[in-house]
Amino acid sequence: MQMQILIALIRKEFMVLLRDVHALTSLFLMPVIFIVIMSLALKDIYSPPVRGQSYALEVRDKGPLADEFVRRWVALRGAPQSMPAAPQEALRRGALRYIVIVEPTFSAVLSAPNTPSGVQVRLIADPALEISLFRATEAQLSALIGELRAEALQDRFTGISTKGGQAIHLLVSTERLSLGIHPTAVQQNVPAWLVFGMFFVVNAIANLLVQENDNGTLSRLLTLGVSPGVQLLSKGLPYLVVNAVQAALMLAVGIWLMPLLGGDGLSLAGIHWGSLILLLAALSIAAVGMALALASLIRTHAQASTIGPILNVLMAALGGVMVPRSIMPATMQTIAGYSPMNWGLEGLLAVLLRHATPVEILPQAACLAAFGAVMLMAAVVLFKRRTSL
Amino acid sequence: MLHISDLGYQYPHSSKPALDGIALTARRGQVLGLLGPNGAGKTTLISHLAGLLPIQRGQILIDGVPLAQVRAASPTRIAVAPQEYAFYPALSVRENLQCFAAASRLGGKVRQERIAQSLAFTQLERFANTRAARLSGGLKRRLNLAIALLPSPELVLFDEPTVGVDPQSRAFILDAVKTLAREGTAVIYTTHYMEEIEAIADHAIIMDHGKVLRDGTLTDLLGEGAARLRLVIKNMSPETVCAQLAALGATRIEGEYIVVTLNENISPATAIAAAESAGARIEQLDYGHYNLEHLFMALTQRSLRDE
Repeated sequence: MQMQILIALIRKEFMVLLRDVHALTSLFLMPVIFIVIMSLALKDIYSPPVRGQSYALEVRDKGPLADEFVRRWVALRGAPQSMPAAPQEALRRGALRYIVIVEPTFSAVLSAPNTPSGVQVRLIADPALEISLFRATEAQLSALIGELRAEALQDRFTGISTKGGQAIHLLVSTERLSLGIHPTAVQQNVPAWLVFGMFFVVNAIANLLVQENDNGTLSRLLTLGVSPGVQLLSKGLPYLVVNAVQAALMLAVGIWLMPLLGGDGLSLAGIHWGSLILLLAALSIAAVGMALALASLIRTHAQASTIGPILNVLMAALGGVMVPRSIMPATMQTIAGYSPMNWGLEGLLAVLLRHATPVEILPQAACLAAFGAVMLMAAVVLFKRRTSL
Repeated sequence: MLHISDLGYQYPHSSKPALDGIALTARRGQVLGLLGPNGAGKTTLISHLAGLLPIQRGQILIDGVPLAQVRAASPTRIAVAPQEYAFYPALSVRENLQCFAAASRLGGKVRQERIAQSLAFTQLERFANTRAARLSGGLKRRLNLAIALLPSPELVLFDEPTVGVDPQSRAFILDAVKTLAREGTAVIYTTHYMEEIEAIADHAIIMDHGKVLRDGTLTDLLGEGAARLRLVIKNMSPETVCAQLAALGATRIEGEYIVVTLNENISPATAIAAAESAGARIEQLDYGHYNLEHLFMALTQRSLRDE
C-alpha cells in the first residue's frame, strides 16, 4: 500500500514540477546557459593564442643580428604595430599586449665570445596579460636569442654560416597525455557546471517543502498516515530523475550544441560508461540528500531563496567549479578536498579526461554516496521535527 | 465515539501548559462545537487528534481503543479539514482528489467512486478539471472538505472551515456539516463565529487557557442566562442602580449594560419595579436569554488575545 502511495505522490511531484516554469528554468536552462557562456568565454584558456597578440618593437641596434631577430620574431608572432608616443600608457590601456625593446649593443654582445653582460632585450607587458602568455613570450624570446647567439659564435669561429640551422625547438618534444582528447574548455566546463547544476535541486526542493509546509499538505499527509520516510522519498526520487535529465542535457549540449556555437565539442569517445553512470548516480544521491536535509531545516521562502544559492556558490567556489583546484594554494586545495562538489568534479574529470574505470573513481563515488546517506538520515530527523508542532 | 479524559500537553520551552486536564466526548451523528479565543488550546487539541502530537498526559479513546492504536491500524478513521488550503494549487481539483485518495489508501474502483461522491457532496463536479489555484475562496474550502471526506471518516475535525468565504459558501459548508452528522459521522467543529455553533452544534465546549470552561448541550449553555436580567439605564449612574438592586441579586456592569442575576423567587417584574421606583428610566431590557457570544465573552473575560 505504501508503494501505491509513493507512486501517487511521485506522479504528483512530476505534474507540479512540469507546470512550474520557474523551477524548470532554474533546473535545466540555467546550467545549460552557464556551460555555453563559460565554455565560449574560456575557449582559449587551455590553448592560449600566442600569435595574434598586438605588440610593438623598438630596435635600437643597427647590427645584422638585430635585423635577423626582427625577421624571425615577426615570422613567429606576426607583424608588429607601430610604436606609440607613450608606449607604457598604451600598455596600461590595453592598446598593446607587450613591447619588445632591442638594445643598441644587441648584435655586438650576441656575437662576442665572452659571457654576455647587460640586458639586451626587454619585454614589457600589459598588466592584464595572462601569466601563461607572458611566460610563453618570455620563453620564445630566450630561445630565439639563444639560437641567434649560437649561430653567430659558430659563424665567427668556424666560418660556417648556419643561419636558421640552430632550431633549438627541434631538440625539444612536448606532449600532453590525454588519451586522444584535448583538455578543451568544453571538456573542463561541462563536468564543472554539470556538478553545479545538479546541486541546483537544493533550491527547488527547499522551496517545495516550505510551500507544502505552509499550505498544510505535509501535515495532511501525515494525518492520513503517510510516513515522513515515504514523503521524503516521494520528493527525492523525482529529483534523482531530474538530475539524470540534467546530466543528459548538459552532456548533449557539450557534444552537439557547442560545436554549432563555434566552441569545441565534448567527446565521450573511449570513456568507461559504467564509471560515468556510477559517478553521476553517486553525485545525484549526494545532491538530493543535501537538498532534502537543507529543505527540512529551512522554514521560509526567504531562507530557501538565499541559503540554497549561497551554499551552492560557496561549495562551487571551494570545490573547484569556479576556480580549478590545481591553481589553488595548498591550504585551499586541502579545503577543496572536503567539498562534495569537488569529489564529483574530480571524479567526472577522471572519467572524461583520463577514462577512469569504476574502480578508479570508487573513492569519489563512495564519498559522495556516504555524504548523501548521512544527509538523508539528517533529513528524516529534521523532517520529523519540522512536521511536529 | 471519541472520549478524551484529563488530556494535558506542554510545549518545550513554554512556561504554561497548552492543554490542562481537557475532557470531552464526541458522539456519532452529533456536531460538537469547540469555541475558544486564540491561545485557548484548540489547535493543540486538534493536532493530538490528527496524530501530529504525542500524548503527554491523559487519554484519548476511539470506541474504547487508545487513539495511537486506532491511528496505527486505520489512520483514515479520523479526518481533519484544516484551516489552510491543504492541497496542491498546481493540480486540478480531480488530480488533487486522486492524489489524496491514493494517500488515503483507496484503490481501484473504490477510489473512483469515492472521488465521484466527494465531488458530488461538495458540488465541485463542474470544477473537476480546474486548477486549484484558480478556484475562489469558497470553492477552495469545498475542495478542502472534499479531500477530508474521501476516506469516509468516522470522525471529522473542522478547523475554522468558513474563514474568508462568501455567505453562500458559508451556508453551503454549514449545511454539508449538518448533513454529515445526520448521516452518522461524529463532527468536531471549531470556529470563532458563535452563530455557526448556534446553527449547527448539538453540543458545545468553551475552552480557554487549555481548560474546558463550559461543556454542555446548546440548550443548557444558553439556559445559563435564565435568571439574568440586563438593563440599559441612561438617567442614573450604573453604580447607583447596582446599589439599589443589590438586595435582589448579584449585580455587575458590562459596558452599557447593568446585569442582575436574580435571587431565587425574585421575579423580573420585582426588579424592574425596584429600579423604576428608584427613579431609573429603563431604555432597554432583556431577560432569560443568553446567547453564546455573551457566555463566551463572560467566560473568557473579554481580554484581547494576541498569542
